[in-house]
Amino acid sequence: MSAKSNDMRSTAEGALSRRDFLRTSGGLVIAFTLFGPAGPAGAAESSPADAAQPSLTPPPAGKLYAWLAVHPDNSATLFTGKVETGTGVQTALAQIAAEELDLPFDRLDVVMGTTSKTVDQGPSYGSMTVRYAGPQIRQAGAAGRQALLDLAAKHFGVPAQQLVVKEGTISVSGSPDRSITYGKLVDGKRLNIDIGASGQQFGLKVAPNARPKDPSTYTLVGKPIARKDIPAKIMGRFTYVQDVRVEGMLHGRVVRPYGVEATLVSVDETGLKKIPGFVQVVRRENFLGVVAKTEWGAIQAAAKLGSTLNPSGPEAGQAKWSNWSGLPKMDQIWETVRNTPAVHSSSAVSKGSTATALASASRTLKATYKTPFQMHGSIGPECAIADVKGDRATLWSGTQMPHETRRDMAKLLNIPLDGIEVRWFEASGAYGRNGLEHVVADAAIMSQIVGKPVRVQWMRWDSHGWEPKEPPIVQDLEGGLDSAGHVIAWQHHMWVPTTGDTHLVAAALIGHPDVTGQTGASGRAPVRYAYNFDNAEVTSHGEGRVGLLTAWLRSPAQFETTFAMESFIDELAAAAKQDPLAFRLAHLEDAKAIAVLKAAAQAYGWESRPAGAKADRSGKPAHGRGIAWVNRDDSRVATIADVMVDPSSGRISVSRVVVAHDCGMVINPDGLKNQIEGNVIQSLSRTLHEEVAFDTARVTSLDWKGYPILRFEEIPDRIDIVLVNNSPEHPSTGGGEPSTCPTAAVISNAVFDAIGVRLRQTPFRPESVKAAMS
Amino acid sequence: MPQQIALNVNGKSHVVEVEADSMLLYALRDNLELRGPKFGCGLSECGACTVLMNGNAVHSCIIPVSAVGNAKIVTLEGLGTAEGPHPLQKAFIAEQAAQCGYCINGMIMQAASLLKRNPRPSRNDIKQALNGNLCRCGTHMRIVRAVERAAAERVSE
Ligand code: FES
Ligand code: FES
Repeated sequence: MSAKSNDMRSTAEGALSRRDFLRTSGGLVIAFTLFGPAGPAGAAESSPADAAQPSLTPPPAGKLYAWLAVHPDNSATLFTGKVETGTGVQTALAQIAAEELDLPFDRLDVVMGTTSKTVDQGPSYGSMTVRYAGPQIRQAGAAGRQALLDLAAKHFGVPAQQLVVKEGTISVSGSPDRSITYGKLVDGKRLNIDIGASGQQFGLKVAPNARPKDPSTYTLVGKPIARKDIPAKIMGRFTYVQDVRVEGMLHGRVVRPYGVEATLVSVDETGLKKIPGFVQVVRRENFLGVVAKTEWGAIQAAAKLGSTLNPSGPEAGQAKWSNWSGLPKMDQIWETVRNTPAVHSSSAVSKGSTATALASASRTLKATYKTPFQMHGSIGPECAIADVKGDRATLWSGTQMPHETRRDMAKLLNIPLDGIEVRWFEASGAYGRNGLEHVVADAAIMSQIVGKPVRVQWMRWDSHGWEPKEPPIVQDLEGGLDSAGHVIAWQHHMWVPTTGDTHLVAAALIGHPDVTGQTGASGRAPVRYAYNFDNAEVTSHGEGRVGLLTAWLRSPAQFETTFAMESFIDELAAAAKQDPLAFRLAHLEDAKAIAVLKAAAQAYGWESRPAGAKADRSGKPAHGRGIAWVNRDDSRVATIADVMVDPSSGRISVSRVVVAHDCGMVINPDGLKNQIEGNVIQSLSRTLHEEVAFDTARVTSLDWKGYPILRFEEIPDRIDIVLVNNSPEHPSTGGGEPSTCPTAAVISNAVFDAIGVRLRQTPFRPESVKAAMS
Repeated sequence: MPQQIALNVNGKSHVVEVEADSMLLYALRDNLELRGPKFGCGLSECGACTVLMNGNAVHSCIIPVSAVGNAKIVTLEGLGTAEGPHPLQKAFIAEQAAQCGYCINGMIMQAASLLKRNPRPSRNDIKQALNGNLCRCGTHMRIVRAVERAAAERVSE
């Protein structure tokens, strides 16, 4: 581990032992260089009781030191409230900062998320990190470079215009012997310089007067630079939140209710004391857990109380739960969703008169699309460590929203905000709001009760069962064609339970469900209407919670709405006997949408013919192609795929995928391609396999057998990616999610093309394909 | 009751104090403070915990410590060093074959076991060997390319 402090004050004090370093920098995860010294195994973290920390308040955004520290060895640290979730934003943000600073890329470390060290730039979600935090960091970096030039101007006694900067060294133009490094110039001091800031989180404006570089001079931004975090991850030297160890910590496991809202009747502790390492049962109202000195002891004790893969009922373990069965029936979930009153309805478009146009259409089509509960399914179950003592709390967490978590924990624990620090460490990929926010609360409550640091990792069944889910959605579409095969009417109604329920499970269990969080119903339709039909009506019925706890999963609700609208337009194209690409283009004016569709078609080698024209109904394996596109928060993506359908087994295999992607200027093309490949594979998995099963008491998909995901044998042979509008005149939009959206429609369209059968309900498992065929 | 049990891990012998029926994964992570093997499911369903036992990839989450005996255990940390990374580690870095990286321990250990049995695997051999290893980030394309690269480089060495 490169023992580089992120704190100028301590750096100035000279070399630090590793231990001191951890104390002053708190929770810093440093990228190991491949050939650099490796740190000792396990990240021994100090607990706050023995660390004299001056302030736990985030630094002020208007000060340069809130963003940047320059060290005597001429390296620097960027501080950002954004966090890495496996998408490569750490590297992208570092590229932006190093570019503005004229610093070699490998001399810039990044500290992310830890609340006492970073500015709250808003959560890292919604493909918004590069789009919103990018400009904030660009301005801070430009202000940093200007400040360093001002210092050098003073140092040499020349005007700043006479100075040139190269790789962290400033020299006087024309006299190369008069030069000084950033490190020497700053001389170990904190960069206590006002750069100005206004607004908050995503809307934060930093250093408004700083002048960033002309993009035509970029040497780092736009380059496929290797990610900072990858070598340590490959060498087994990376510290995930799951790897953090705190002195004197105990291991905790939760014991969740059998039924989602069951209440705890009794706890029989017989035999627990015999478990080696067992410390105690932790109970507050319906919140139940165990702590032990060893992980194995905690697992054994939790199992005795009922935390196992397949408990047979509410009284299966030594903890007895009430017999609760208030969930809707699984086979009636879409009726339930449809009949749930809307909290907030919103319209994406209302144009002309759809009813009149449908009445006069020469042909009308109607279809209903259904999508199930799905889960984030992180490979590493959620984990956090909490050390709560009196009015101080330190929380080690991999949350995508550390500053929000800090505020939530203040409310949950009833501790002043000033006493709380979240030390952020990366977790297993989350793809949205999985259980990482919840497990912090579990650990915090346990630690508050036992008075010691407690590490809680969920068991696989806790994660599958209790992480917030993507909601089931039902959508009705109706369209009308005129005699020339042109769409004259389009009606799309969607019933969408909340994707923004931020209540904490533990808060509900201790009897204070509303202490943090809220049930959000979508305030706008989760769809970007883009076609130019003369008569159109697109309405979203936003609902509260329906059945299980739901929160955002990669491209929340828009994965589902894109499935419906881009499949239904294919249905209309097929009814009009037109080529599906030409049909879309004939109804589009959005130049960027047209550009990605054309780029994808060109890369694929698209030949014009109506969808399903060659459909093979003979029962032999048949080939088909499908196309779809999306506008997700201004990023446009078009996807084309080739599939083979085996009618005898019902299996769909995907051989080739082509993606044309426009998110404007790309900071790191290889990082983006990694993201696009990931989106394609994950969304294929969601399309072909994924559905959370439940009975009226609880989730029953409690492991990977109960919730299968895509495996290696099913991956495509090729994923070809074309980047469109990747240039500085197109500001960066998001890349973390958009390429998830078209996939289900692409596959549905390709299956129709292959065998003439339309799939309108995900997942497209072999049995549902066969059912649709018969 | 906890017992003193000797384990040979990454070429060194260690004595750990654990219960004999507890799983190897926890001894590696909690007693020996290793970070390569990960807890993913504890059910032998995902591969995150994979280690080599006498050269074969096994799921350490379901192997009781008592069943290890004097078998040689190798974890991701023991596969290569910072100075001399294993060809698979070099290839995974060269292909940038990770997103969150949580599954990667399992991918590399499983692939190491494959390359030992079959130094020139086909793409299909690789997919079959890794089929029990889950990756949620969808890094599969890169993982397969990295194993292919490692195999090619080994053969050309
Ligand atoms: S943790 Fe061992 S196979 Fe999943
Ligand atoms: S890289 Fe995240 S699970 Fe595979």
